[in-house]
Formats: sequence, C-alpha cells, structure tokens
Amino acid sequence: MEQQQAYDLLARVLELSDADHVRASLHANALDSLRVADNVTTHNVRRENTVLSVECAFGQSHASATTNDLGEASLRQLVTAAETAARLSPPDPEYMPPVTPEEAGTYPACNAWSEETATFAPELMAERVGTAIEKVRSQDYRLSGGASQNADFSAFANSAGLRGMHRSTRAEMHATVLGEDGSGWAQTTATSRDDVDMLATAGEALEIAQMAQHPTEIEPGRYTVILRPEAVREMLPHYMIQDAKTTDEGRTFLRGLLGTKVCDEKIHLYSDPANSILPGSPFCKEGLATRRVDWVKGGVLENLDCSRYWAREKNLAPTPGPTNLIMAGGEQSVDDLIASTERGIYVIRFWYIRVVDPMTCLLTGMTRDGLFLIEDGTITRPLLQFRFNERVLNALSNVEAIGPQERVGNALLPTLKIRDFNFSSATRF
Amino acid sequence: MNNLCQLAIDTTRSPDVTYADARIVEIRNQVIFTEDERVGGMDDNVSLGIGIRVLLGGAWGFASTSDLSRESIQRTARNAVAIASANRANVNPGSFEWADEPAHTAPFRTPCEVDPFSVSLDEKIALLLRINEAVRAVKGVSKASSHMRFRRQHRYFVNTDGSSFETDIFTSTARYNATAVGESDAKTRYFEAPSANAGYEHIQKTPLLAEATRVGEEAVEQLSAPPCPAGKMDLILNPTHLALTMHESIGHATELDRVLGMEESLAGSSFATLDQLGTLRYGSPLMNVVCDNTMPGGLATMGYDDDGVECQRWDLIKQGILVGYKTSRDTCHAMGETRSRGSCRADSWASIPILRQSNFSLEPGETPLTPEDLIADTKDGILIDGMGSFSIDQKRHNFQFGGDCFWHVKDGKIAGMLQNVTYQAITTEFWSALDAICDRRFWVPTGVMNCGKGDPMQIAQMSHAAAPCRFRQIDVGGAQ
Repeated sequence: MEQQQAYDLLARVLELSDADHVRASLHANALDSLRVADNVTTHNVRRENTVLSVECAFGQSHASATTNDLGEASLRQLVTAAETAARLSPPDPEYMPPVTPEEAGTYPACNAWSEETATFAPELMAERVGTAIEKVRSQDYRLSGGASQNADFSAFANSAGLRGMHRSTRAEMHATVLGEDGSGWAQTTATSRDDVDMLATAGEALEIAQMAQHPTEIEPGRYTVILRPEAVREMLPHYMIQDAKTTDEGRTFLRGLLGTKVCDEKIHLYSDPANSILPGSPFCKEGLATRRVDWVKGGVLENLDCSRYWAREKNLAPTPGPTNLIMAGGEQSVDDLIASTERGIYVIRFWYIRVVDPMTCLLTGMTRDGLFLIEDGTITRPLLQFRFNERVLNALSNVEAIGPQERVGNALLPTLKIRDFNFSSATRF
Repeated sequence: MNNLCQLAIDTTRSPDVTYADARIVEIRNQVIFTEDERVGGMDDNVSLGIGIRVLLGGAWGFASTSDLSRESIQRTARNAVAIASANRANVNPGSFEWADEPAHTAPFRTPCEVDPFSVSLDEKIALLLRINEAVRAVKGVSKASSHMRFRRQHRYFVNTDGSSFETDIFTSTARYNATAVGESDAKTRYFEAPSANAGYEHIQKTPLLAEATRVGEEAVEQLSAPPCPAGKMDLILNPTHLALTMHESIGHATELDRVLGMEESLAGSSFATLDQLGTLRYGSPLMNVVCDNTMPGGLATMGYDDDGVECQRWDLIKQGILVGYKTSRDTCHAMGETRSRGSCRADSWASIPILRQSNFSLEPGETPLTPEDLIADTKDGILIDGMGSFSIDQKRHNFQFGGDCFWHVKDGKIAGMLQNVTYQAITTEFWSALDAICDRRFWVPTGVMNCGKGDPMQIAQMSHAAAPCRFRQIDVGGAQ
C-alpha cells in the first residue's frame, strides 16, 4: 500500500466520526512461507491482509472496532460500531486523549525495508529451500523447518493532527536437522531475504545434529551453562520488561526494585529503534516516538514500561514498551566461554518455557535440539534433554561471562555463561 | 459466496491439479474487558477473506486474500497454483496419498438459543462490573478483572470433490480473575464459563456472579497458605484442571502428523509412535479416551473439517491401550485407514488447514463415585482445581504442571489450602497411576481456546471433558 493511499483512507475514517476523539490505524501484511518436514516442503503459503481499526471516544468513554473490508460502506459501519459501543461504555478514568504532534516527539529513522523481500517469488524461495534440503539429505539426515518473507506496512492518524507511517520486511529460515537419535537447530533472520543464507543455516543445524547423535545420561542438578542466544531469548530478557502500574501495585516480581541492582553488573538490556541490524518501529501504538531505552544497565533496573496514564498519575515521562530487545555483547568468543569451563552444559535452545510462579519469576522449560557436556574446556559428548526450574533474577545474577551478539528473531542477544543453573529432571531421549 | 469459491476452484483447474478447495470465512469477534470499576476495552472485529488450496504433483500451494473482488480471487488462485508448482521438485509424489471423502452439501449451524451479538452491550458490561464489585467486596482482594468474548465463524466451502457447504459457528466465553496482594506476594484465582460452541445462554446458565465471593476469598486465602510439600503424593484433579493435562499429554501426542514427523521443527513429535498402535500401555485399564467432533458444545464441533470431511467420533485409548490417532486426509493412510477422522482445521480464511486436536474426553467411571467419596478415600493427597503453569517436552513425555488452587487432603478430609503446587511426571507413568474416576454425573467439558501449532502459528480451539480423577503417588513440589 502506498503512503498517500493509506493517509487518504485514514483521513476518511476521521471524517466519518463525530466522536470527541478518534484514532485510526491501518496494517497491511503480505507473508510468504514454506514449511519443510522430513526433507519435503509441506505447507507452502502466501497470505495478504489489510486491517483497519478505529477507536472512538466521547469524553472518557471509548471503544474500538476493526475490519478488513475497506469499502466505503464498511468504513461507515466500522465507525458506527465503535461510536455506538463507546457511547454505551461507562467513563474510563484511565482513558487518555490522542497524542498530539508536540507530545509525540520526533520519529527516529528506522531503515527496516527491503524491496526485494516484499516481492512474491515462489520459485526463488522453493529453489533456495530445495538446496538446503539437498545438503541435509545428502548426509542422510532429515531437514524440518521453515523459510519465510514478511512485508508489513503500518500507518495511523488521530483527531489531534498526528499521523505516522512505517514499513518493514523480515526474512527468516529456521532449520531443525534430525538424525537417528539427536537433533540440531539453527536460525537466521534479517531485513532482506538476500541476507538469509539458507544453505549455511541448514549446514549449521546439520553440524549440531551430527554432534548430538547417541546422547548419554547425566544426573540432573545445578550446572554451569553456556546458553546460546536463542536459549537466552526464550528464557531471559523479555521478563525484565514489566508494566509500571502493575509493578507499582505489587503484582509483578519487580515490585520495589526500580532503581536498584537486580542482577550481575555486566547485564545491559535495552531497546533502540534505530539499530541497523534489528531496526524497530519509529512510534508506539499510541503514536509516541520510540527512543533508546535502557531497561537494565550495570545490573540496575533502570526503567519499566510506563503508559501515558500511569506517567500522568505519577508525574513521570511515559516510557513506551520495547520496540526491539537488545542485550550488549561481551569481549569473549563462544569458544572462549567453552574453553574457560571446567564442567558445564552447552545449551542450543529451550522449549516450552512457562512461568511457574510469577511473583518470583520462577520458570520451567525443556532443553531441545542440542545439549552437550563440557569437560575441561571442551565439548565431550551429547546429553539426554533436561527440564529446568530457575528464577530469571537468579540466572541473570549468576552470569559469569558474555559472548558475542547475534540476531535471533526479533532480538539481538549474546551467548551467556551462567553458574549454578538448576536442571531438575531428565527426559528419556 | 459459494459462487466466489467456485470461481476460485475454476481458476485453479488444470490437468496437473489433482485437488483444490476454497473457503470464504467471515469471523466476527466481540471482546469486552473490564478492570475493577472501569471498562478497559471493547472491540468489535470483523475479518473476511478467502483461502485457496491446491494439490499439484504431491505439492501443496495455498494463497489467501482479504480482497474478495473477482480479479483478486482469480489472482490469488493463480498464486496458489504457482506456489504448488514451484514446490514440485521439493516433494516425493510417490509417498503422498489423499484419502477419498464423499461430497457434502448439508449446512451445519451451532445450536444457539440466544445469539450473543444480539445481546446488548449494556447487559454484558453490567454483568461484568457487578462481578468485579462482588469480587472486590471481599476483604483482601486488590484487583478484579473480567471479560467476555463472543465469536461467530461463517464459512463457505467448495472443493473439487463436489462438496459445497455452509457452516455457522458461535462461541461464547466469560471469565474473571480475583487478585490479592500481600506484603511479599500476590495471588490470583479465576472462574469461568468455559469456552463452548454455544450462544449467550451459556453465559446465563453459568453462576458467574454467585461464585464471585468464593473466588475472591480463595485468592486471599492462598496468600497465607503453606507451600507445596516435596515428595510423592496422591493427586485428585478436577475436570477444570485435568483438561489441560489431557490436552498436553494425550491430545498432542496422538496427532498423527506429529507422530509422522511433520511437526518436528516447532510443535515436535510424539513418543506414541505408529509401531506401538494397539500395544502401547498409555495408562491404567480405567483409562478410556474418546475423540468426538460431534460433541454438543464442543469447540471443534463444526460439521465438517477444512479438508471437507464430516466430523466423527472414535476411540483413541481403550482400557489404557493406544488404539487410534487424530488424522487428516493426507495422513490417515499411514495407519492403514482409508478415511480421515476429520481433524484438519485452519484458524481463519488466511491459514492453510493443518491437523489439529479434536474434542476428546476421558470417559467417566462406570461405578457410582462422587468427588466427596474420592476425598474420603484419600489418606494424603492434593486436590487441584483450575489451570496453571504447564510445560512438556517436544515428544510429550516429561511434563510439569501447576494449577489455579490447591487443597491438602489428609485422612479423607480437606485439611486446608496449599500454594505453588507443581507436579512432574512421565506421561505413561502418570496415566498408569490413575486409580479412580468419578461417575458421569460429574463429567464436564472444558474448552481450550489457545492451542498453538503450525508455521505460521495458528491458534485452534477444542474441548476436553472429564470427571474428577485420582492419581497415586505422583512427584510434587520439585519446581521450588
């Protein structure tokens, strides 16, 4: 969708409404995806959708409606639905009027678009995936996984005169390679599909799978772990970004901890919409400009996600939630981290993580697709998978060393070496 | 709409295309969310579009669009053919089989006494705010939140088998939470009208307001309850809790696509492999599990699946032995069956159909047994109600579950509340420890609304029914 076409549509929605406040937003998406299982492609998909939402408010009473039918009659129905519901709604003391251009601030430049990645090219994607399949099949292993390219367009306008537009692309391949009794995993994500080397991604997963064959058992217990970036992504960082109001009301594990040291001083967790490897969005849902925000710096909890309402109540500046998630990397290589470990466990990724106790952020989950014993600075053998039960703040407080950053999905995270990580039970595979 | 589906099918026609289907689906969702005395959000969301699927040389191509103009539908149909054609080199056509299914034309509609979208927003808001007020009237409760969600899925389906049908499915849900905040902790307890394919009468028949005080009191009581002991204890699991344990440890493990390795990269595979069909001791002889996509009110009860297969009822586990799987038209041949069980569904017009869990039930006990009898017969155990934390490995073998509320059962009586209970087991050992099931009077379905699977991820719904059960000597307390 073109920018002017989007703004014209949004302007029409604003024009149709008699509400005191109106905010309209448009999101168009085109996704191409191939799925692989057992060395064949299975689910090969293209989907296109454009969604229009409007929120109307009369005084403090508000409601929203959403449609993907962009015809004039549908737009009228949409506005009527939102206005009717808003009129029936009791006043909401937490409702905030639309963001003004002055309040929004200046939107940062976020270069997140790749023209070729937004182009439908089923033959190219099938050919690249086919090459990856062949590489794995030739070694008598099985490839499962998926490749995708995604193009997003977002625009909004409100009755306070603010409007914004952002477009982004994302290409990805994730590969699970399976052998007789062990598997390996790798993933590559980038803004451009040409930066996703499917052959290399499959090759990395194949190498891990070859190392993972014939796993052996060791007793569960507390071990030093080296968590690769995907394991870090699944377990640690996003739990550290909690809502300020909920936290101030005593309902999150970070209550009373803002401004205090909560974990090892080497931890620096932040968001930066202008990051070149992992560009974010220039504006948050309400329209405020995004900016670099330190969530944890030097081990100190620096910020919580603070809404405009709660900021007004507490006389603070609002802090929009994370537009992306970045943890600063360290000086050491992954090989250095392994070499410095007398006895430990090397973890490729986790699976099925759930919160057991939200008030201590106790998590449980499984290891998956590559688990290895480290002895005297060397990986010595593959292991049967473990279940862990560990608290996020314990793990982040026990960080001994930090490796280099890598992009994993929508995060940019390092490998972490953590002591005394609690594996509570083992599987039988 | 059927004509537009037919246009899509006609556009895909070529000698190479061996099967095609087209679905136009309109999904309307209404959500009302309240917190304490305020309405936090109301949204009315309509999503309409077409999904077109073609099978060409053993390769699938699927394309979908929200633009229902004739030109757009024809372009989307050609895209589906192009995607399938591009992937011919990436499949092994010799190993692909597609089961036959008769053509269907009869419409299906959820029995619905009161259309939930015809009930005024005023009435819904008033009920939610009254519930919040009642919950917050309990001393020690700091926060009450509640929501209602209603969905209508109107589907038109046409395929090259000659099927051409229309379905109209209504789903209704209401739920609320009570949160008590203590000096160093916070506890939340919930109550719900479990999601069901039904109209607003489902909300009206559930004692939402009547239970509010109890729910609030139980949230407060949890704050001072002793922690979960560690060791082996008997567990008495209410249906509201057991539904999730069944879903994770039985439901996913018996999806035939997982068993065949088609979900290895995300959801995973299964320990319940095909070579064990008819022999695997899944659980105790008391364990009889029946799949039923014709179950009244079931979230997977929709007349036909998105392969165009009529919904059915079949045995999954008989007297503890694995005897079946959930299947689709492209998987059933692997277990020697010529007809799919009809368990292939898409979560919207935009998604390709994939094999999903059916509704399924743990059959009730045959001899009279009440929950009170079960407690009276238990020397040292824990009673668990409601869903909590859940985690299981990718073969569905090693699991750990929490719950929403817990009571210590001592010498046949409830001896007070516990907090932060978890239990951990290997699936077959857990189900082998099943030694008592209450009778049919206490057998109730619970809906699962957020079952994630597939790539791109799809969210599906299904119902699981059970009566209260007892499991002997399960490991508890290992998480702390």
